[in-house]
Amino acid sequence: MALGEGAAGSIVPQRLQARLKRAALVVVAALVAVFVTVPVYVMVAVAVQSPTAVFSGGDVNLIVESVTFRNFAVLFEETNTVRYFFNSLVVTASSTVLSTALAVGAGYGLTRFEFTGKTLAARVVLFAYMFSPIVLAIPLYVIFYTLGLLDSYFALTMALTAISAPFTIWLMWQYFQTVPIALEESAWVRGASRTRTIWEVVLPVARPGYISAAIFAFAVAWNDFTMSRVVMSSEEMYTITVGASLFLDRVSIGWGETMAVSLLICIPPFLIAVFLQNYLLQGFNVGGLE
Amino acid sequence: MARPIHFDTVRKEYRTAGTTHVAVDGLSLSIPEGSFTTLVGPSGCGKTTTLRMIAGLETPTDGQIAFGEEDVTDQSPQDRNCAMVFQSIALYPHMSVRDNIGYGLKVQGVSKADRDDRIDEAAETLQITEQLEKMPAELSGGQQQRVALGSAFVQDPDVLLLDEPMSDLDAKLKSELRVEVQRLHQELDATVVYVTHDQTEAMTMSDQVILLNEGRLAQFAPPGELFDAPVSKYVAEFIGTPSTNMLSATVERTEEGIALVGDGFEVTAPPDRFRDRVGESVVLGIRPQYLSTDGGRYGLVVTAEVVEQLGTEFVVHGHGPDGTPIDAVSSAFGDVDPGDRLAVGFDAEDLFVFGDDGHTICHGDALAVDARSQPR
Repeated sequence: MALGEGAAGSIVPQRLQARLKRAALVVVAALVAVFVTVPVYVMVAVAVQSPTAVFSGGDVNLIVESVTFRNFAVLFEETNTVRYFFNSLVVTASSTVLSTALAVGAGYGLTRFEFTGKTLAARVVLFAYMFSPIVLAIPLYVIFYTLGLLDSYFALTMALTAISAPFTIWLMWQYFQTVPIALEESAWVRGASRTRTIWEVVLPVARPGYISAAIFAFAVAWNDFTMSRVVMSSEEMYTITVGASLFLDRVSIGWGETMAVSLLICIPPFLIAVFLQNYLLQGFNVGGLE
Repeated sequence: MARPIHFDTVRKEYRTAGTTHVAVDGLSLSIPEGSFTTLVGPSGCGKTTTLRMIAGLETPTDGQIAFGEEDVTDQSPQDRNCAMVFQSIALYPHMSVRDNIGYGLKVQGVSKADRDDRIDEAAETLQITEQLEKMPAELSGGQQQRVALGSAFVQDPDVLLLDEPMSDLDAKLKSELRVEVQRLHQELDATVVYVTHDQTEAMTMSDQVILLNEGRLAQFAPPGELFDAPVSKYVAEFIGTPSTNMLSATVERTEEGIALVGDGFEVTAPPDRFRDRVGESVVLGIRPQYLSTDGGRYGLVVTAEVVEQLGTEFVVHGHGPDGTPIDAVSSAFGDVDPGDRLAVGFDAEDLFVFGDDGHTICHGDALAVDARSQPR
């Protein structure tokens, strides 16, 4: 029995309790797996078969018998999917970079410098995170309208950063608290300037932290629907989420193509999860979000 | 090149939320160049703050710090050519041991080949050659500390600062590294300032000891002088294990002249020093090592409470007739049991006499001269 698994003073015998615990774990894991994997499977199954195969016999046929890329071909030929995808990549990349940079700067400042109103600033940051995006959408629309910035990458980047930054700042603020100041001091005493110390000592040590922040900012931006819908007004500026949601309104596009585009949307987050999962866990552990 | 360090009325305050905490107050002293000086004192006495002010990591609120002729009070830590070993060791977790040691040289722009030569040399001195290509996380605590010493060593600093570098190590490693640090001091041309709360470390390693008490200088002297001639009750109690016994006494006029009268003893005192103090109460300090079962002109009865064995010696913790705690150290206490009453003796020349304000009035040698001239 591992540390912390003991259950002193309970009515149920410990051995039985351990068995129950294991059984409960298996059941819960299985339920979660079913609820997560079944929709994903349905999406893949519909996306890689032709509509006639899926809907043959008046029923939805989810056993994949023949794989075809017909749905993808239709997407690329008849819709602006590539353009949407590109738009999404542009705003997601810029917002991720901006939000992470902001978080690193703010987090470093909040942990390394004393200034009046520091606690207040930190609370405001966390409070800002509690707003749902739609609450910010109208004020942001008004701001961008007034500035004449609507329908631009810049405006959407800013809007997405506004949503993700409070959390990334908070995350980095927590993370920098775990980086011992003695590391920096030891570099200063050896003659390294503050800037050089940040580049060569602080940032490498804080890497799991800012990678987590970047992943979070990426997820917010990539999955965003609200902000893109509000800020972008012309069709060629739509992001992939908004674009895909409109497909079903069109006569020529069916479920097959919609699932195909959904599959495309899943690819970038999937790649990130695969390659950066270690960093993600390290970063969130520190933030107390195990 | 080693440089002397001068403090001139240095004061450091910390202000937080309206309250001012004085960490160091009116510190003036000169640490000789090339010496091994230890800053010692209980937790919170300002010793680490003092060290950090030498490094430039803290700026004094008031007063000046100079290295030789050069006023460094407002110089940044980057410009001081100090090396510092931190209590937390502070190795860069993302760099190999070699890069850790060589980081300071890299910052100074030393070429790669040159750097490697110096790193190899330092590693050899510290016996960490085999660890050079490892990452800090793979090393044991003692090895990490050696790496930290190594990175200070390769820089050839004017001033080497060590902030409780051994507080997290076990006793065996401590004694090994103590030797290592002293060897480094001999090889380096640097003024070494070493912070510790462990007075044994301070007494064994240093040429000079700075003892601080709540931010103020208690005494600045070589270890022997600190032990034999403390300037105050505080110094006498802090230096030496177990702590100096404190017996209360009063200055009284007797037939032979003047004596310090306590519970069960009467020590003749030189009239010229104590004439003006008749009627005052004083405190007599006697080190546990100077209480013996055989001999001693003055006697004292101690009731033993706890007996500890320290190698060949035994430490008896007990109390005197009036309940004052008294410790005694001797190899002759082997068969003492708790509850036993021991008659111990001491000589006037081993006493310290402290006034009511805690300052030393005189040391035993002054009493002894007088006692010899006026035998009882």
